[in-house]
Amino acid sequence: MTASDRPERGNPARHGEGAGPGADLAAQLGLVARGDAAAFEAVYEQVGPSVLGIVRRVIRDPAQSEEVAQDVLLEVWRTAFKFDASRGSALAWVMTLAHRRAVDRVRSVQKESERERRTATADIPYDEVTEAVESRLERERVRRCLGSLTVLQRESVTLAYYGGYTYGQVALLLGVPTGTVKTRMRDALIRLRDCLGVAV
Amino acid sequence: MKLRARRRTTSGEHTLAGAYAMDALSAPDRAAFERHLAGCEDCAQEIASLREATARLAAAAAVTPPPGFKERVLAAAIITRQEAPAESAAGAPAAGIPATGTPAAAPGLLDWLRWITRQGWRVRLAAAAGALVTVLVLGAAVVFGLANGSMRQQLDQAQSSSQQIAAVLTAQDAVMRTKAVFGGGTATIVMSHSRHALVFTAAGLHALPSSRSYELWLVGPAGDRPVGMVPAGSRGTTGPVIASGLRPGDHLVLTAEPAGGSSRPDMPMMLDVAL
Repeated sequence: MTASDRPERGNPARHGEGAGPGADLAAQLGLVARGDAAAFEAVYEQVGPSVLGIVRRVIRDPAQSEEVAQDVLLEVWRTAFKFDASRGSALAWVMTLAHRRAVDRVRSVQKESERERRTATADIPYDEVTEAVESRLERERVRRCLGSLTVLQRESVTLAYYGGYTYGQVALLLGVPTGTVKTRMRDALIRLRDCLGVAV
Repeated sequence: MKLRARRRTTSGEHTLAGAYAMDALSAPDRAAFERHLAGCEDCAQEIASLREATARLAAAAAVTPPPGFKERVLAAAIITRQEAPAESAAGAPAAGIPATGTPAAAPGLLDWLRWITRQGWRVRLAAAAGALVTVLVLGAAVVFGLANGSMRQQLDQAQSSSQQIAAVLTAQDAVMRTKAVFGGGTATIVMSHSRHALVFTAAGLHALPSSRSYELWLVGPAGDRPVGMVPAGSRGTTGPVIASGLRPGDHLVLTAEPAGGSSRPDMPMMLDVAL
């Protein structure tokens, strides 16, 4: 128990990052930029479940989430040439697109939601959301690192990133000044980054 | 005094890095921070490193996509033109990226279709989105036909509508939507505002009694316009139907009408898609 909590995670994580799936994903994106459809399928295999997962975490509604996730993946297809390996990992590039789209959808949706509700369309029947098996280790590692944050840091990150709230809204929800939330968010991400061993 | 004030502002901006990396800024705050970011290389570096952390938060949320999701994504990519880098950007464009100005959609589409055929994708897609395949094959036939002329003859019958369909599918701004239909089935729409048209297909629509048929409408500020009756296709697929005259603010609506069609859409709407 204690041994696994020791900060020995830097090395293995970075090792996995170096020439492993991360580098592979970047190379695949390069091929996608040149119109390589098979490479796009490979990219889908690596990021599709995460894209859908984070979009769904933020948006909640399964049908809308699927639509937004599909748009994100198509954006990856359309604009793969914009990925610049010198500015971060391929995973971060894709997830940034995905999270931002999800958040933008949530914030613009209020006006539309009424109309949507009036529409007589049936909900697509979904089985319970299944957590992707491959991500279990990843989930465990992230959970552990989230656990190393202070309560305020963790709640700020969870509400902002998974909940899609602005820092102002997070401050209201937690009943703390906005300045506090801002700094907690930054400190939390720095700690998470170090804990996960994912420095650029 | 002044200096101190300025320094405080800068560090104030800087503390927003975490919120920005998590998309936790309101639109005006985001715009302001991005202006700040443009002139602050350190900030950009920090954001990049924080996003490695947020990316892992996203990866930890991975779910197993529902059946057919992957097929829809790949099929949508087939009909989506890739953007090319601006030529003014420093450095030569990467090899293999088609130059802008040429009908670049065609080679991309052909590559895709060749690849699909090789992979046996046609079969798998047919299972997942049969109707879409009809569109793709029809669209491809037109593209092939236009490319080598010899297939043109065979397309005489459906030529005008399939050319319209191909024009929508290969339009630069073509987007695809899928939506569940009330009563069963899934509709797939590919639309292009620049072409003022959309292509509608559906799979697994609930069978109607013989006295009634599905009818499509464009409904919007410009009024309610009938698009036409939706022909039943083979193997549970429907369409493709092309709807032209698309205007801003339109919805595509599907209703069940008396077999001869009607002059006004009847309730309930089986499908309502904002376009």
